[in-house]
Amino acid sequence: MKVRLKLFATFRRYLPPGAQGSACDVEIPDGAQVSELLSRFGVPDKESLIILINGRDASPDRILQDGDIVAVFPAMAGG
Amino acid sequence: MFGWRGKILRVDLTNERVSVEAVDPQTAKNFIGGRGWAIKYLYDEVDPAVDPLAAENKLIFGTGPLTATPAPTGNRYMVVAKSPLTGALSCSNSGGFFPTEMKRTGFDLFIFEGRAERPLYLWVNDDEVEIRPAEHLWGKTVPETEDILLEETDPRAKVACIGPAGERLVKIAAIMNDKHRAAARSGVGAVMGSKMLKAVVVRGTKKTPLAEPQAMRELCKLVRSEVNADVKKGSSLREYGTAYVPPVTSEMGILPTHNFQTGVFEGVENINGPTLTEKYLIRAKPCFGCPIACGRLTRVDDPVYGGEGEGPEYETIAALGSSCGIDNLAAVTKANYVCNELGVDTISMGVTLSCAMEMYEKGILPESDVGRPLPFGDADAVIALIRQTAYREGFGDALAEGSYRLASNYGHPEFSITAKKLEFPGYDPRGSKGMGLLYATSNIGASHMAGDLAYPEVFGVPEKIDPLTIEGKPHLIHRFEDAFTVIDAAGLCVFLSVRYLFDPDINLWPTRLARLMNYATGAGYTEETLLRAGERIFNLERLFLLKAGFTKADDTLPQRMLEEPMPEGPAKGHVVELDKMLPEFYRLRGWDEDGAPTDAKLAELGLKR
Repeated sequence: MKVRLKLFATFRRYLPPGAQGSACDVEIPDGAQVSELLSRFGVPDKESLIILINGRDASPDRILQDGDIVAVFPAMAGG
Repeated sequence: MFGWRGKILRVDLTNERVSVEAVDPQTAKNFIGGRGWAIKYLYDEVDPAVDPLAAENKLIFGTGPLTATPAPTGNRYMVVAKSPLTGALSCSNSGGFFPTEMKRTGFDLFIFEGRAERPLYLWVNDDEVEIRPAEHLWGKTVPETEDILLEETDPRAKVACIGPAGERLVKIAAIMNDKHRAAARSGVGAVMGSKMLKAVVVRGTKKTPLAEPQAMRELCKLVRSEVNADVKKGSSLREYGTAYVPPVTSEMGILPTHNFQTGVFEGVENINGPTLTEKYLIRAKPCFGCPIACGRLTRVDDPVYGGEGEGPEYETIAALGSSCGIDNLAAVTKANYVCNELGVDTISMGVTLSCAMEMYEKGILPESDVGRPLPFGDADAVIALIRQTAYREGFGDALAEGSYRLASNYGHPEFSITAKKLEFPGYDPRGSKGMGLLYATSNIGASHMAGDLAYPEVFGVPEKIDPLTIEGKPHLIHRFEDAFTVIDAAGLCVFLSVRYLFDPDINLWPTRLARLMNYATGAGYTEETLLRAGERIFNLERLFLLKAGFTKADDTLPQRMLEEPMPEGPAKGHVVELDKMLPEFYRLRGWDEDGAPTDAKLAELGLKR
């Protein structure tokens, strides 16, 4: 199944080549968790980070659905 | 005294005289500094019913006990007065280099009183204080003013000044310092202009005495090392500045778009931090002594939008970008430069323009009144109208009054997205409900800085909470408002304080902040008494508002936020259930059902009505 991964702020560096802006489309196996997706791209999991799935809070063990939009960024400060 | 200098400079502009007075240690401790001392003096000396542009209003520049100390981000000051935009308080904050230099002259506060008969500026050179003529500066832009002043005083001095906007009493005028930093909100620039005060120039060489310098240095070193570790990991504002935020808030569906009609902005990728870095960034820029360096030194090479300066910040990108339907970052950056040069608040300018755009598109605001079409997305109109606003030319004269008066004049105040007439910052509260309660209850109107619940609701600091629920938000807003009051009064920046000086818990327990305060001042705060002082300041500000005529009815939000469900995105269908949060907030604050502090609460805080 396919999901869209968006990596914001400094997590942008973990995007694969060919990504458009902050996002890339990813093929993942059915039943995959968010954490597996993150580790595939080398996003560090020991850091405080925020995961949004379709704009809503999600935890790393959440199982992804086809068409999900997963946005991840470090927890820092705002503006 | 330690930390505090214990000295106030009073500037009588009517008679062109200055005097110096001491601050008693108990008042100093009870009201922390800066913002806290300012409201104490304002409440005691100014009738809250005063016309904000009359001579009887006072303009207070307040540094804190941690300003000009080794505390990282101890580089801030607050500008406090009664606001001409809102009729409530202004508590506008700025960093850069001016506040540190001001504290080094040996004064904690400057209190400006009366009104001069001719343009003046104040020059404080350690102990030498002069009131000097400023006719030759009147009419000059912010950068022109600073350049001239540094030449005629001292090249190492620092300058705070108004531009043409403040001179013309534009109600959304800012006080700029170090050319590109802004005490922007609530029209403080207009108060300064109403006093014919063009600028304040400071040169200070006095080091702030500290109660426990060794302990202070050790704690500061530890904090700096933590910040540096985060910078290295990429977990800081250094790399992209606050400009990293638009994709985050758009993803959550809360990025102000088309005057807060929606929270999802299609063009968001064009106006984000990475785009700014790729195209226009020269380098990151810190305020004095700051290890984060969130500031942006930028330049745009473009025939139409060319310029150089600092920024844009997130709030500017939201207000002058997505709220106006503009996804051209060069144009937003240029709009930011123009606001800085002329001394205008970018937030209020952008949201006032987007208000006008919505009224134009709905046929309420005629093109003939504006003098040109004004659809969403017209960047050239935005830039032209910013200039007109600063100079009160044509339609700019109407924009200069802020969105509430503008929209009311056309019979449609509901298009002004404000609380207490202060334009909303960059978080639509229908998708960040704690922010809704904050905007409704802050003592300056819709401010994100008065108790920024976006920290946990959006950014996950100190921990992530659900932005779409209302449970527990009254408690959190109470805690955050008091904590942020302490940060403001101490003279620190929130970007460092929230994450590194409070325990990593949602209730914001100020363990390290209390230690820093005590190492600096020796005043023996506990975490409780420090937060209590923040609560005291907040309550005194509230008393000022009540005496100025504010009531519970003013603790509210625009109709759009209360009744128009968010049309799309993750917050689709949501409104702000303010009526379910406000009573509990009042109760937790020890206020009665009308939002007034009870006698018991005032007694507890040692305040008198």
